[in-house]
Amino acid sequence: MTKNFPPERIRNFSIIAHIDHGKSTLADRFLEITGAVDMRKKQAQMLDSMDLERERGITIKAAAVSLTHVINGEEYLLNLIDTPGHVDFAYEVEKSLQACEGALLLIDAAQGIQAQTVANAMLAMDQDMVVIPVFNKMDLPHARPDEIKDELENTLLLDRDSAIECSAKTGAGITDVLEAIVEQIGPPEGDPNKPLRALIFDAKYDEYRGIVVYLRMVDGKLNKGDWIHMIGAEADYEAIEIGKFMPKPVPHQHLCVGEVGYLISNIKRLEDVRVGDTVTVMKGQRAELLVGYREPQPMVWCGIYPTNSGDFENLRAALKALKLNDSSIIFDPESSDALGFGFRCGFLGLLHMEIVQERLEREGGIDIVQTAPTVPYEVIMNDGTIKVIHSPGELPDPVMFTEIREPVVTVHILVPTESIGPIMKLCTERRGVFMRQEHLSASRVMLTWDMPLSEIIYDFYDRLKSGTKGYGTMNFDEPHFEVGNLVKLRILVNGIEADALSLICHADSSQRRGRAVLQKLLKEIPRHQFQIPLQAAVGGKIMARENIRALSKNVTAKCYGGDITRKRKLLEKQKEGKKRMKSIGNVEVPQKAFLAVLATDD
Amino acid sequence: MGTRRKKLNENGVGLYVHLPFCKSKCRYCDFNSYAWTGQSLQSYVDALLIEAEQRIKGLKPQTVFFGGGTPTFLPADLLSQLLEELNRICGFRASSLETTMEANPESVNEERILAILAGGVNRLSIGIQSLQADVLEAYDRVHSPDQARQALALAQQHFQNFSADLIFAFPGQDPERWRLDLAEVLNFAPNHISCYELSYEPGTALTRLRDVGRWNAEDPDLCEYLFKQTGEQCSAAGYQRYEISNFCQPDHQCLHNLAAWQSFDFIGIGAGAASSMAGTRRHNIERPDAYQAVIENGGDPLSREERPNAETVLFEHMLMGMRLTQQGVSRQRAKRQTGLDPWQEYRDQLVDLGQQGLIHADGDLDQICVTPRGALLLDHILMQFLPSASV
Ligand SMILES: Nc1nc2c(ncn2[C@@H]2O[C@H](COP(=O)(O)OP(=O)(O)OP(=O)(O)O)[C@@H](O)[C@H]2O)c(=O)[nH]1
Ligand code: SF4
Ligand SMILES: [Mg+2]
Repeated sequence: MTKNFPPERIRNFSIIAHIDHGKSTLADRFLEITGAVDMRKKQAQMLDSMDLERERGITIKAAAVSLTHVINGEEYLLNLIDTPGHVDFAYEVEKSLQACEGALLLIDAAQGIQAQTVANAMLAMDQDMVVIPVFNKMDLPHARPDEIKDELENTLLLDRDSAIECSAKTGAGITDVLEAIVEQIGPPEGDPNKPLRALIFDAKYDEYRGIVVYLRMVDGKLNKGDWIHMIGAEADYEAIEIGKFMPKPVPHQHLCVGEVGYLISNIKRLEDVRVGDTVTVMKGQRAELLVGYREPQPMVWCGIYPTNSGDFENLRAALKALKLNDSSIIFDPESSDALGFGFRCGFLGLLHMEIVQERLEREGGIDIVQTAPTVPYEVIMNDGTIKVIHSPGELPDPVMFTEIREPVVTVHILVPTESIGPIMKLCTERRGVFMRQEHLSASRVMLTWDMPLSEIIYDFYDRLKSGTKGYGTMNFDEPHFEVGNLVKLRILVNGIEADALSLICHADSSQRRGRAVLQKLLKEIPRHQFQIPLQAAVGGKIMARENIRALSKNVTAKCYGGDITRKRKLLEKQKEGKKRMKSIGNVEVPQKAFLAVLATDD
Repeated sequence: MGTRRKKLNENGVGLYVHLPFCKSKCRYCDFNSYAWTGQSLQSYVDALLIEAEQRIKGLKPQTVFFGGGTPTFLPADLLSQLLEELNRICGFRASSLETTMEANPESVNEERILAILAGGVNRLSIGIQSLQADVLEAYDRVHSPDQARQALALAQQHFQNFSADLIFAFPGQDPERWRLDLAEVLNFAPNHISCYELSYEPGTALTRLRDVGRWNAEDPDLCEYLFKQTGEQCSAAGYQRYEISNFCQPDHQCLHNLAAWQSFDFIGIGAGAASSMAGTRRHNIERPDAYQAVIENGGDPLSREERPNAETVLFEHMLMGMRLTQQGVSRQRAKRQTGLDPWQEYRDQLVDLGQQGLIHADGDLDQICVTPRGALLLDHILMQFLPSASV
């Protein structure tokens, strides 16, 4: 099917929700019902096409697909974007919404409204789009739609009767949802007679065909063979192939107003494609740039280094290729005594960091070492200028600055009423400042706290979960900076200061953090031929110390005639493992040790 | 203590015979062994003899070793048949300096002992492992401490030459309890004793238990302490540590293994058995059923074969030879056997290790040997000889 649809027969929408509320499963039902997939080839969460997504059972990247469906005798083109629910990927949701006129706000009928339900709903409402609440998982015996209707009214000010009930598992109610989409969400606006304007909302690198550009058509028409112009990047290309995702790419002759599709132009220069840029035609009237995407603000930073120093350029190439597909990553070259040349990279959260690291290793085929993640800090220099630092190593000499400001965020925490006590205690311990408490329904409240980002980015979420029997969720917005009593905790390995292990923390917790980091290093750094003292210090003051005892025994107990080859291979493997370590002075440190800062003291 | 028989010949061949069945599988065991589930033992022996006919006819081995599994799991009549036929095929009774059979306490009895003695076995090696009921149980061993004692008594009564295997460094082991175990075993005056530190091999039940946190991980300090205590105790009883984990009364090394540690040729038959003959390494198919099936269909039970290059051969020569804590590696013999001179290949490392006090090495001397401290760090020493893989 390669025909085009007039705008009034097109609906563009995203499915948004809290994590695991069933977005990708609902998308599966849509794909089935509309006959977009061969029933024999179907699998669960079909749009989660990355290996990492399938392994972890979560959506990481928004995925677009075009469906056709007949309602009241009319055939419609439905462009849907399945978005991720995890808080680290909120930027993906934001970008997706910009390519749509409406959103399905999916709510797990048993769990009810959760932190990212609120956050994502707000994103959609801020853009004045139609939000259709859909209660999913109605098949669950403990579904509680009536209570959730209260939450819907109290929290999101949405009409309790607007909710559609369905089960993405059994398929019940799915056609009602499709009908609501066509009825309630407006057709795309755009002028077919104006010059071409299309928004680049995603891209990926294909080894054989060059960059595949994902487009949302706004004005005009794109024809196969047209010469196109990327306005921001100032690059020109021929549209060698255009088409739509149905869900496999299907070539088309044209893409028209409101449609969503792809463009292949054998583009090999990564710089020429920027997500958020506008595509127009090369000749003719000049078109105006569409409103692009906001630059997201990274929440955590860490150093990423190649395990083999010879891989530095390969790492740069891999980061560039990844940035094309994930525009939220930021990276700049840096160097470290222990690790050589690498990059300081910014991420939207720890999960994002972990995913990027895995993608670099898998898609880029590079072994990497990663240093302790840190939040950014503002350092107010003696002359009043502000220096933003993204690693403890960048902190200037204390005589050079007057204060350090740390990022503080407003956190919304949704919890059952009975867990208010423990959560209030947790937030206080983490230097939080209480703002307010609102009731969502009889049994649930939303607590709002201002908290230092560094206190919540690591294990706060786990603690929140355990303090609420799994029912607590949280969300926070972009940070502002506030003065804090912050110090640099230096970590010394065998007397040598290791910047890659150091961290910035609150003075009051420096001893606690120091001990925790050393405990972790004690576990991760293997014994050497000599004893290794470990110290954590603030300035010249030692806050904690430990010793890694000397290795005095390392011998295979059993080795007989039949084992020779196997024993040799074991030794080779051991040696290979050593080679992958990094040295601080004469101490070999395995990659895992660089994450010691994540160690908690409980 | 009999006087030593003839010496091993550098050009002689050892014969290894593998009998893979056990009553049940011990948790730490990574041998090619299987809990017996009722399959025909006769068929396995038949297959083994067919392989023998094909591969070791007229071999005249200088040592023989029946290992497992549990060779004494076979009934007495089958053991007699196996020994009789093997002798007919390769003539080991006349040629072998030492014919060892491994045994486990639950299957050692007078009937089997008389059968194997008559069949030409002159050395018994019994797997005792521990004399503590709770430890044996934790290992999933199927015998009691008393069965172990009875087995030792029987061996002492019937064999001129016998050995016992023990394992130490059970998590949290009280050194005193281990000392008493070892003393009790030494009281049976075995000619040879192997004391292994409990090791966590990939794929064993024990390693899995440890990795999921249901078994306490090893404590390196305790292991080291017990290793040293064991050496002192054995030495006080008149046993010398001639290999990392092996002790013997004077002149009672296990000749079969001694030959392997010196990289002499050996040929193995049976499921999973390894051979090293004239520079070629060979491994048989491991699973007994698959091994048997191939032989029954007239095939060769070969699983894989390789001819390592000279550097690798020299490394393996070091890997095996340096385990001999008293004699070490002979430079001249290494040159003869591998064609390479360790002092040329590893000069820098040898000098360095010598300076660190880990080995006795002197370019003018023939012998390269670990010091007592070096023995404890043997894997570290060996790693220095490995070619550093290219970056
Ligand atoms: N019982 C029941 N389970 C459902 C339903 N819909 C989804 N699930 C299950 O809920 C889990 C999460 O489903 P997904 O579709 O991956 O959720 P998601 O919202 O896409 O998750 P993220 O993309 O990671 O945010 C899976 O185990 C689904 O099988 C439903 O209607 N009923
Ligand atoms: S008896 Fe010996 S070979 Fe058999 S399973 Fe136990 S340790 Fe392994
Ligand atoms: Mg999903």
